[in-house]
Amino acid sequence: MSSDDSTDRNVEIWKIKKLIKSLEAARGNGTSMISLIIPPKDQIARVSKLLAEEYGTAANIKSRVNRLSVLGAITSVQHRIKLYNRVPPKGLVVYCGTIITDEGKEKKVNIDFEPFKPINTSLYLCDNKFHTEALDALLADDNRFGFIVMDGNGCLFGTLCGNTRNVLQKFTVDLPKKHGRGGQSALRFARLRMEKRHNYVRKVAETAVSLFISNDKPNVTGLILAGSADFKSELSGSDMFDPRLQTKVLKLVDVSYGGENGFNQAIELSQECLANVKFIQEKKLIGKYFDEISQDTGKYCFGVEDTMKALDMGAVETLVVWENLDVMRITLKNHQTEEERVIHIRPDDEQDKTLFMDGGVELEVLEKMALIEWFANNYKTFGATLEIITDKSQEGSQFCKGFGGVGGILRYKVDFQSFEVFDHHYEKDDLDDFDF
Amino acid sequence: MSHEPDSWEDYEVDNTARNISNLNINAQAFVPNAFAAPFVPRFASNPAPTPPQTNGHILQPRLVENPSSDSNKISDPVESKIIKLEEPVKMEDPVPEPKEEPKEEVMEVEEPAPEVKAPEPVVEPTPAPVKKEPPPNKVRKENVNIVFIGHVDAGKSTIGGHLLYLTGQVDKRTLEKFEREAKEMNRESWYLSWALDTNDEERDKGKTVEVGRGFFETDKKRFTLLDAPGHRCFVSNMIGGAAQADVGILVISARKGEFETGFDRGGQTREHALLAKTAGVKHLIVLINKMDDPSVEWDKERYDDICSRLMPFLKQSGFKTNDINFMPASGLTGANLKEPLDSEVCPWFKGPPFLTYLDELPSFKDKTTGKPFRMSIVEKYKDMGTMVMGKVISGECHKNQSLTIMPNKTVVQISEILIDDMDSDIAESGDNVKLKLRNIEEEDISPGFVLCSTNSQCKIADRFLAKIQLVELRNIIAPGFNCIMHIHSSVTEVSFEELVGLMDKKTGKKMVDKSGKAVKPRCAKEREVVFAKLQLASPICIESFDQFPQLGRFTLRDEGKTIAVGVVLKTSNQLASQMTN
Repeated sequence: MSSDDSTDRNVEIWKIKKLIKSLEAARGNGTSMISLIIPPKDQIARVSKLLAEEYGTAANIKSRVNRLSVLGAITSVQHRIKLYNRVPPKGLVVYCGTIITDEGKEKKVNIDFEPFKPINTSLYLCDNKFHTEALDALLADDNRFGFIVMDGNGCLFGTLCGNTRNVLQKFTVDLPKKHGRGGQSALRFARLRMEKRHNYVRKVAETAVSLFISNDKPNVTGLILAGSADFKSELSGSDMFDPRLQTKVLKLVDVSYGGENGFNQAIELSQECLANVKFIQEKKLIGKYFDEISQDTGKYCFGVEDTMKALDMGAVETLVVWENLDVMRITLKNHQTEEERVIHIRPDDEQDKTLFMDGGVELEVLEKMALIEWFANNYKTFGATLEIITDKSQEGSQFCKGFGGVGGILRYKVDFQSFEVFDHHYEKDDLDDFDF
Repeated sequence: MSHEPDSWEDYEVDNTARNISNLNINAQAFVPNAFAAPFVPRFASNPAPTPPQTNGHILQPRLVENPSSDSNKISDPVESKIIKLEEPVKMEDPVPEPKEEPKEEVMEVEEPAPEVKAPEPVVEPTPAPVKKEPPPNKVRKENVNIVFIGHVDAGKSTIGGHLLYLTGQVDKRTLEKFEREAKEMNRESWYLSWALDTNDEERDKGKTVEVGRGFFETDKKRFTLLDAPGHRCFVSNMIGGAAQADVGILVISARKGEFETGFDRGGQTREHALLAKTAGVKHLIVLINKMDDPSVEWDKERYDDICSRLMPFLKQSGFKTNDINFMPASGLTGANLKEPLDSEVCPWFKGPPFLTYLDELPSFKDKTTGKPFRMSIVEKYKDMGTMVMGKVISGECHKNQSLTIMPNKTVVQISEILIDDMDSDIAESGDNVKLKLRNIEEEDISPGFVLCSTNSQCKIADRFLAKIQLVELRNIIAPGFNCIMHIHSSVTEVSFEELVGLMDKKTGKKMVDKSGKAVKPRCAKEREVVFAKLQLASPICIESFDQFPQLGRFTLRDEGKTIAVGVVLKTSNQLASQMTN
């Protein structure tokens, strides 16, 4: 089941992303935070020896506090490593150290995991922070695609990589249009026009080189030229366009506008070239979700409550969640009745004390975690697949803004009675008081 | 009669003297010249300009004599000119020019040499002074903007070119040249369209890319002809053209197979008709073209079939039955364009030919007077000054008037008004004009800016409430949806902020729930009408539809398709209100 693997992998990626975020934010005392990365096919014994040596060196640290914490960290790394009798096939990543939490307390962190794909870095660093650069490289999709969107008003350079879409640069030009009959000056206008167009193509070709070629090599796996009218073919055929980039051109697509919209359309149109890119898969997934809605099949759900209901019924086939969904899942317990209850709230509702009261009794918070994390841990028990999406694509942005960032495609039709109203907290708006 | 000197520099020395003594005689010889005839009455009606006046040196003192004419009405062209001459920028007096021979004009450029004088001959090549605008006291013909729309290769440019030829705007020689050149390229049938497709790449491929323009006159009206591109890729250009037009000419190819592809889903016939309606086209003429084609041969059945298939769709697009007129034609042969159809060729069509029909159309002029001046800028370029092009949406302007360009709020002066490449003193609503502006650089203007009267500026907004009719969607629209918006002549990216209401199609009112509150839909589907708040990337000029319909209706497009049309209900400028807070 390769598709299952890939969705698992996506969840894996998301988890690592989250981990990296928390690690990046962590700060410790002195240089006591150890980042250790062992590439595949290395030997545990070699690493243990290295750690033993480091332990000896660290024993000479003058400052007592620093010495103790470094020694402590190295010891915990050693213990962790002992759990493995050989390096896992995809390498091993260990983070150990004492971090200072928000409340100013010290907290010991021990993390070891096998990355989801082979990691080809050997790293041992003792610093006041964890080093996650190597993991970042892991997340970065190796397939990076360049886009040049060119039309009569300007040009946009962008890349598509994994599920991120970046605009590297854009500029506008002012090309003369045709002005009907120019009388005597018609020829002069025509000449000026040709010249300006030529300069524009040259500028685009030069910018493309500066953006897409680094170290004398193209830094993209493929290049897509998009544009209205002839500019794109003019560019691809022009000898000003670097031959190294020329060989990378995958496709010429016709878009009707330049700028961001043209970029979106270019991505849409070059789907078959980019079928393996996460961004496209994401678009397709949400597109499918929207199709269900537009066809009124009833095989969809959105909003936290409906989705939870559907999950409980086992109806959810694909669970779609926005990666930055900020809904918290809080388990509450009523002391008097010993009754447990789960609520889902947004962070700004946390101040609302009434949610934590039940008939005058203050409820105890048993557990508090991000809903998305809960999904990531539990989605399998509901027989669903989990898709974590971004709001970078057109569809993604609609899903997040219009549907609250959580929803699912169902196996069968479910009629939800309650229509949860998502109250967007819009400020008082001068467009509101209009009786249309 | 002409003594052409070897060098104009030498000539200049005794030029003045010769001018005064000889000029009149020369001028007489030129009166019967080609287009000069309509200008003869000007001599008769105006006692003021005596021949020597042509000379700038003599003109100057006259200024001082005539300050009293300030209060005069603009009815007398000469005096109106003199009023303006009070300002330092005086020499562009067009009145004496019709009388002098072209050579004199060249001399005059060198002679008094004030800064502003020089540009004029460059802007308008030699024939220009001969076709001067008739004096204002003559009745102005109404200007009508017509746009040719339709599927690619329907023959829009060819018909346009043919009309220009029939009305004498393109002379036979030029056309022969085009024909020769087209023959060299093995594209003989394209030559007529070359009158409008002036760019090389347009001629190479035979496809219009940018909106072409031409002018012609009939007995009762003046026409500005806009030739929109038909190709799917250039629909955005087409909208810019349609936004300026009053009458749309939907060109349909009757050739077997061509009509079908153009009309099927994905063809431009439907989209163009809808876009034209939303862009503000009031009357539609459906020209069934290529009736002379061997596969058609003026077949009445084919014609009727096409008409009957088009009609329901056009009605659905919002045109009323009496706003639509069908007629057969052939762009290549010119049949039924100017002359009525030969009854041997086509015995069944009895209506007037195309030009006659156009001429007899009722007036489209906005009858309400007193509206503030508005003109949406379609194009700008540099030609010895800053030139802007566009259609006057409401109000009127005259030379030397101060106007404000929005949204930069720059106050500019009009230094020249060109209507159909002819000089004019005044431009009224409906005119398609080129204005030369002072006090602003070409770089500071973009298409989509609005020129308005200084005391009543148009609104600038970055958010607005709109009523939107969804036409064609891939699946649904939800808040966060981004697309391109065409509103008057500006093209900008827009995103849906919130859907605030849904219209009940049966009652035409917004849907309400039991408590009387508006139903806020989570998403909108095809064919629904929704009320939504839209957010723009940056503020642009928008007016609500009820005040300025032209500045308040828009089209939403995405991925090369028209997805929705709508009108602006209310605007708001977040940026501005933030700044004031």
